[in-house]
Amino acid sequence: MNKNKLKITLVCIASVLFCLWGSNAFADKPIILGAPLSTAYVYGWDAERGIKLAVDEINAAGGVNVAGKKRKFQVEVIDTRDLEPGVPVSEALMAVERLILNKNADFILGGPNRSEAALAAMSLLSKYKKISIVTSGVLTPKYHKMVEKQYDKFKYCFRIHGEAVHLVGEMITNFMDLKKKHGLNKIFIIAQDVSHARGAAKVIAKVAGKKGFEITGTELFPTGSSDFSMALLKAKSTGTQIINIWMDMPESAILLKQWYDLKIPALPFGSTLAAAEQPGFWKATDGKGQYTLCNVVNAGNAPSDATEWTMKFYNAYTEKWGIEPEGLGSSSSYMSVYVLKDAIERAGTLDSDKVVAELEKTDVMGVYGRLRFDPKSHQVIFADNPEDGAVGSILQWQDGKRVVVFPKSIAKGSIQLPPWMNK
Amino acid sequence: MEILVYGTINSVSLALMALGFAMVYGISRIPNFAHGALYIVCGFVTWTLLNQVGVPYFLAIILALCINGILGVLMYRFVLIRVRGMNISEIIASYAIGLAILEGFRYGGFKGLSYTLPVFMQGSMMIGSVPVDYHRLLMMVIGILFVGLLWLFTHYTKLGLALQGMAQDEKAALMLGIDSDLMAMLAMGFGAILTGVAAILILPLGNIVVESGYHVLIMSIAVCIVGGLGSWVGAIIAAFIIGYAQILTVVWLGSHFQMVVAIMAIVLTLILKPSGLFGQQKELEERV
Repeated sequence: MNKNKLKITLVCIASVLFCLWGSNAFADKPIILGAPLSTAYVYGWDAERGIKLAVDEINAAGGVNVAGKKRKFQVEVIDTRDLEPGVPVSEALMAVERLILNKNADFILGGPNRSEAALAAMSLLSKYKKISIVTSGVLTPKYHKMVEKQYDKFKYCFRIHGEAVHLVGEMITNFMDLKKKHGLNKIFIIAQDVSHARGAAKVIAKVAGKKGFEITGTELFPTGSSDFSMALLKAKSTGTQIINIWMDMPESAILLKQWYDLKIPALPFGSTLAAAEQPGFWKATDGKGQYTLCNVVNAGNAPSDATEWTMKFYNAYTEKWGIEPEGLGSSSSYMSVYVLKDAIERAGTLDSDKVVAELEKTDVMGVYGRLRFDPKSHQVIFADNPEDGAVGSILQWQDGKRVVVFPKSIAKGSIQLPPWMNK
Repeated sequence: MEILVYGTINSVSLALMALGFAMVYGISRIPNFAHGALYIVCGFVTWTLLNQVGVPYFLAIILALCINGILGVLMYRFVLIRVRGMNISEIIASYAIGLAILEGFRYGGFKGLSYTLPVFMQGSMMIGSVPVDYHRLLMMVIGILFVGLLWLFTHYTKLGLALQGMAQDEKAALMLGIDSDLMAMLAMGFGAILTGVAAILILPLGNIVVESGYHVLIMSIAVCIVGGLGSWVGAIIAAFIIGYAQILTVVWLGSHFQMVVAIMAIVLTLILKPSGLFGQQKELEERV
């Protein structure tokens, strides 16, 4: 009897072990998505959330079909800290290399977030032939120009969100509108002393000047600055009517508080204005963020009905993370996973060169419109209408809400001026 | 007028930031490189008491200052006392504590925009043609008052005089029966409270972010080096020199040169007068 019991027990254990071994042996290895992100900053943690949301959805639906075999995505995140003041670019490069060598990342998504770090990482990606889709923070036009210039070397690099020159175009369109409607003609530029912001400040000064605007001054602030009074007073003394802000550091909330406290009679209009992009901005500024405008680069980062997928994504994100999409990289990070999945399935392999070829043929209707890459520069193609291409989003804080005011095709309201500007 | 008003505000805020560092070094000769971390601790503790525990703002401030003071005392009692007198070890130990605190906050999720303290008074007024918000004005007034109180404390109370005695000559103070370790421990406590006061006055103007801890440390070191390590008067005068220099730089050169002023001040002081403006003891050592 005892012997029988022992036999039965051994058979059961053997069966369980066999099943466990079998399930591991026949399951395909997951596809590793390496995400080098500056996770202490909104552009980093938001991208991480966007990527993880998409991965969860895709895995729940069965995974990625690679030549008939279903494989799941697995995300590996390393904090690059590249958005923090004083952190050298080399830290971000080490993070990318660790993802490739230690974590065996098959693809790189997200960052590095700082343009300088992303540009430096391009050679590394080329060396290891790893496809990278930058989704958050990297706004320098140099990124896609480098791909265009040295295609064979940098063909593994893609960008799925807007870049500084495009953002400048959107801002100028709005400035023209404000000039026409309210007679606002004097612009003061406040920018963070980093690559994309310096570049954008120069471009906007040049373009706005050509369009007949008067540039009353430009002030650059080092990352981490926390007092903007003198620049604001300069803006006031020069009769400025629009303050154009390019600042992704969280201290930009201080700038906007000071603007409100000092009642500077100029409309704050930012781009990559990280503080104002976040739903917590209202509380953080005690409502002093009222009237602040900011460009959140892609639709879906603020509520709108750009496509059928926009609010589905918005609500799914809010449900999963308990907070609305916060920064400019949310919807693009989310879409990068779907776009990659689509390309892998069409390629039927993880081979970088074959997936590059398929990514170049991407044409999907995503969260922020029709997504296609320029085959020469690998920059996502933008348009004013979601049917034609990826659309941007400019929002204004109105009574505690982020109201999309541009582009017209998806706008939920129009730009309001602070009462002290009407005096 | 802008330069005068904002130069003064900037200088008072620098003086507030640096006083805690200057006090600790002046009395115990410990360069407290955890100074910036104590600044942030006070901010986060006040925020937590106010928003998570529901303690009234004023009480939250008092409690946070007490906690900061206790933290300073504990840092001395359990870590710094063991390395006292070994300059490099003091720097390494205090910096390690500061780093652990700041990065601990970051790791613990204290990041983003949520961490703000309410200003003491809303609104703004005009001084001549220059608009200034009430909180900045209040910060300036409280800052000046606090420096006055500190002067009275160190000149007219027994404990204050004992601390001053330590600052002037530790060996002579020991001969007079002043407990050196106790005074150094109290100096760390008072220094931490002073740093907390700076945090309570300055942080409502912006957000509580970990990076501010590093910024405050750099600025405090700059002020103390220019003023002369260990000299409180020197620190206050240096705060005004650097504060005005920063504002003048913003007006004449541009905002992005603002940080260079502090670094240049350190470099120039070390080249021209390494003891700083009022670093008399160091100056004597240099002469010898």
